[in-house]
Amino acid sequence: MKLGWKKIAVVAMATVATTLLAACSGGSSSGSSNDNGKTTISILQGKVEVNKQLKQIAKEYEKSHPNVKITVSSIGGGTDYNPVLKTRISSGNAPTIFSLAGPADAKQFSAQAADLSNTKIAKAALAGTTSAVKRNGQTLGVPFNIEGYGFVINKTVFQKAGIDPNSIKTYADLQNAVQTLDSKKSELGIKGVFALPGKESWVLSDHLANLYLGQEFNGNAKKMYDSKSMKFTANEEMKQMIDLQKQYSIKPVMQMDYSQQVNQYFSQGKAAMIQQGDWIYPTVEQIDKNFAQNEISMIPIPVKGEEGKLPVGTSLYWAVNKKKSNKEQKAAEDFLAWLYTSDAGKKDVVNKLHFVPAYKGYDNFKMADPLSQVVFDYSQKKQTTGWVFPAYTGTSWDPNTLQPNLQRYLAGKQSWNKTVKNAVDGWKQQQSTK
Amino acid sequence: MMKNRSLSFWLFVMPTLVALLLVVFIPAIMGIFYSFTNWDGLTYTTILGFKNYMAIFHDSGFLAALWFTVKFVVVTVILLNVIGLSLALLVTRKFKGNNLLRTIFFMPNLIGGLILGFIWQFIFTQVFDAIGLSGWLTNQTTGFWGLVIVTIWQMSGYIMIIYIAYLQNIPTEVIEAAEIDGASAWQRFWNITFPMIAPAFTVSMFLTLSNGFKLYDPNLSLTNGGPYKSTEMLAMNIVNTAYSENDFAKAEAKALIFFIIVGAISLVQVYYNRKREVDL
Repeated sequence: MKLGWKKIAVVAMATVATTLLAACSGGSSSGSSNDNGKTTISILQGKVEVNKQLKQIAKEYEKSHPNVKITVSSIGGGTDYNPVLKTRISSGNAPTIFSLAGPADAKQFSAQAADLSNTKIAKAALAGTTSAVKRNGQTLGVPFNIEGYGFVINKTVFQKAGIDPNSIKTYADLQNAVQTLDSKKSELGIKGVFALPGKESWVLSDHLANLYLGQEFNGNAKKMYDSKSMKFTANEEMKQMIDLQKQYSIKPVMQMDYSQQVNQYFSQGKAAMIQQGDWIYPTVEQIDKNFAQNEISMIPIPVKGEEGKLPVGTSLYWAVNKKKSNKEQKAAEDFLAWLYTSDAGKKDVVNKLHFVPAYKGYDNFKMADPLSQVVFDYSQKKQTTGWVFPAYTGTSWDPNTLQPNLQRYLAGKQSWNKTVKNAVDGWKQQQSTK
Repeated sequence: MMKNRSLSFWLFVMPTLVALLLVVFIPAIMGIFYSFTNWDGLTYTTILGFKNYMAIFHDSGFLAALWFTVKFVVVTVILLNVIGLSLALLVTRKFKGNNLLRTIFFMPNLIGGLILGFIWQFIFTQVFDAIGLSGWLTNQTTGFWGLVIVTIWQMSGYIMIIYIAYLQNIPTEVIEAAEIDGASAWQRFWNITFPMIAPAFTVSMFLTLSNGFKLYDPNLSLTNGGPYKSTEMLAMNIVNTAYSENDFAKAEAKALIFFIIVGAISLVQVYYNRKREVDL
């Protein structure tokens, strides 16, 4: 029998083609299956800075719960996470637990996110912390933690200038303090009172604007997300605050980015205060541990009618995939409940993840760093206002309307009236087509 | 025999064809289909027809990005070819160190666009500031010229290599004959060298044109479209529409329009440049 080259080639090509096709369809068998009675749950989450710690905690949980296996993947940055989650869902390799960033995500992933309202974990969450991810009466997510922002201050500089940071309650108090600091710039060794990063549009559009847009919606992001209109009544106050920060900031403002603001200026004592949140702590600590531990604190940004209140909110929520088997969903809920409500889990949340808890039962805990402590204290005292900016961070109004308009005002290219008008009109237009 | 040959022909073509089909044609067709729906990256619920396309023409961000990109392409195509050719003429002359110079001019091309963007961001903001040119990258004009400078710095060495290849192919007899006939250096360049390297123009212009339209990495790392979205180029506008505004269907529609624009312009350019090419 003549077995020519051609036949060999035919077999070879057929093998290649089959392998190729097989390679494309493979990979979906992993994930949900339970081998030897073990339940495997996979976690995909968007807070990349806790990746290592979360993996350690998962190991710890596996030890005490030998029937469960947990895999953790973390993807950083708001814009990178969603494509990965979408890819994994469409390729049939969806995670059991995933994270949601707010109302826009809750809407996008409502086909995947299970209703958690009757679970132990959702019941333990502090009042109002899940309102942003509620849809049609269902609670689609539970908070990772709470975060807060304000003016992060250099205590030493304030002390040297003879200013008590806790006495700053109103805009007038702040203005006086700023002027005092500015007049003593050289003896305090600072380059400017503020460091305002003009390049980072989110510093103004998310955090600062939240203070002046939030009142209209009682600080409820879901309410704003569903609202057809927005008046921006407190806009004059916002203008005042931008102008103050710009005038007394290290210059040039339009060239400054986040790393210059935090690493180069604030952490090295060149700015007396910056408008940021407790998330900057690890960065400051990396640069100067002693400074981070002993010399920084945070005060609220004065807003009329909301004096002495810190804007506190949640940037990420845990969701459980309802397309998975009941057993797997149950295991996922059990893990989340263990993490936030058991004694061992609580310690990990505070000391390993460095989270300010958004759950009940943490009264006697001490936070891992001074900025988290400030957020925790305000939240315990209920001296807080809500975050509405998650209502718009996932929509086109934020990057296409609010951010460029605020930046144009900041750069002196556009009047404030025009900025406000564009913002209000843009919101109306976007909401009418949603 | 013929039948057998065509069988083996198809078998050998199959793997490539399957791969091409799977990763190019099918996704492209799906993408075109999705651009007519309200696809969000996962599912679609309704077919919108041309609604996404109509929205694009009212999208001031997209039109601004298009205009900015066109200006950028015009400037970089001219500058890259002029500088690339000048460098090529310089290093093909006989002098000591011409090989070293070639290497140096080519080197920036070995660094990725993202890293180049970060390096130049430092130069524009810190070094320029130190020598009295402050405020770079804080408005559209300096952002534009910043991008142009980075692109020229990165690409001109590459374009130089293409011109060198063609310059070295010019037969020396032709140049010598012209020299004996008394042609000046300029006449020799304009009447002999220039027509002889016409194919190099075709290639270089095609590369600079299509790269200019598709530029993304330096745009991302140098300005990230800022300040106030004034330096956002087409590719970045499409990426942002998909990933930060979660409007995948509209991004698909924009990408298709982008593809048609780049394709049409490149084809016209190649057609006209080809006509200019001469044979000895």
